[in-house]
Amino acid sequence: MSLAPEMLQTLLTAGEGPFIPSSRITWLAEYLHLTQVETMIALLEHDLWPLRFARNRGVLSAQAMVRLLSIKIFIAGCGGLGGAFVDMLVRMGATNIRICDPDTFTESNLNRQQFCTLRTLGNPKVLAVKNGLMEIAPYINVEALQMEATAENLPGLLNGMDVAVDCLDSVPLKKMLENAAQIAEVPYLHGAVLEQEGFIYMDMPAKRRLPELYPGEDSHPPANVLACTVSGAAAVMAALLVNAICGGSCNAGLFHLDFSVPELECFRVDSQ
Amino acid sequence: MHAKTYARLTLLQATLCRRVNLKAKTVLDMAIFIKISSTLREYVPDYQPSRGLWYEPANLHSPYTAASLAESIGIPLPEIKFAMINGRQLPMDSVLKDGDRVAYFPAVGGG
Repeated sequence: MSLAPEMLQTLLTAGEGPFIPSSRITWLAEYLHLTQVETMIALLEHDLWPLRFARNRGVLSAQAMVRLLSIKIFIAGCGGLGGAFVDMLVRMGATNIRICDPDTFTESNLNRQQFCTLRTLGNPKVLAVKNGLMEIAPYINVEALQMEATAENLPGLLNGMDVAVDCLDSVPLKKMLENAAQIAEVPYLHGAVLEQEGFIYMDMPAKRRLPELYPGEDSHPPANVLACTVSGAAAVMAALLVNAICGGSCNAGLFHLDFSVPELECFRVDSQ
Repeated sequence: MHAKTYARLTLLQATLCRRVNLKAKTVLDMAIFIKISSTLREYVPDYQPSRGLWYEPANLHSPYTAASLAESIGIPLPEIKFAMINGRQLPMDSVLKDGDRVAYFPAVGGG
C-alpha cells in the first residue's frame, strides 16, 4: 500500500528520523483501516522503519524486513530450542507463528527453557510461549496448539506454512517432520542438542537427510543439555532462516556447535 | 578445503596437541586426529574437547578403519551413530590414512 506524500511528511517530522514509534503505528493503522503488521509493511515500502526494528536497519534491508514480517513459520516443539528460537524470530520481526507441543512446563525445564518461569510451571508450554511472545510483540499472530505432531496431523500443521522448524526432542519425531516437510515441499530447518553440542542445518527444499545420519533404530535417552547450548543452537537456526529470507545462498552444510571447546564447524554433505 | 592443505593443517595442530603412543624423538609413521562427541566421551576418560586426541596406530600392517579405530580407543560401536572423516560423513568401514581427522557422534535428538 502506498502512503500519501503529506502523510509521509507528517510521520517523518513527528517521528525520530526514519523510525516510527509504536504509538504512531497504532494510530496510523486505525486511520488506514489496516492491521499493525500491514501498516509496518506499508511504512517499510517507503523505507520508514518501526522504531522497534531500528537496530535491524543496516543489517536487514527493508525488503528483507517485509519478508520477515510476512513469513509463516511452523515450529514443532516449544522446549529449549523452540522457546529460544521463536523469541529471537519475533524480536527480529516474524509475526506469523504456528507452534505445537503437547507438554506442560516442569521444574526440570527451568535450567534452559526460555519461557519456563516459576509463574508458568504447570502451564502448557504453547500457551506460556504465546503469552510471553505477546508481551514482546502484541501485534503478532500466534497459533498455539497443545498437541503432539504426528504423521497424521503434520500435513495439516504444515498447510500454508513457509518453513518447518524442527525443535522436537526425539530422532523419530524429527525424521517424521523432515519427511512431512519434504512431502509438503516446505523448507526444513533442523536443530538438535545434546549436552554441550548442537547440530543445525536447513534444506530448501526439504530432503531426507536424517535417515542417512541416523539409520536404523533411534532409541536414545532424554538429552541432558545446558542453557547456553540450546540458545546457541537456536541462534544458528535463526541465522540460517534470516539468511535465507534475505536471499542469501542457503548453506547446505551440517553445522556442529560444540560449547565444550567452544567451536562451530560445518561438515560437508554428499550433495555438496 | 583441499585434502593436502587440510592434512598439513592437522599435522601442524599435532605440535600443539597431545599424541597417544608417541615415541620420544621419533616421527610418526601414521597419526590420526580424533574428535569425540558428548556422551561418547565417557568411554575415553582423559579426552579433552579443546585438544582432541592424536592417535598412532600400534599395528600398521593391517589397515585401520573408522570402526577399528573407535574400538581401539574404547568406544563401543553401537554407541556411534555416524562418523565424519575430514569433515564428510563416511561409512564406518572407511579406511583411514595418515593425517585424517575423524569425529565420532552419538544420536543427537534433544530439543
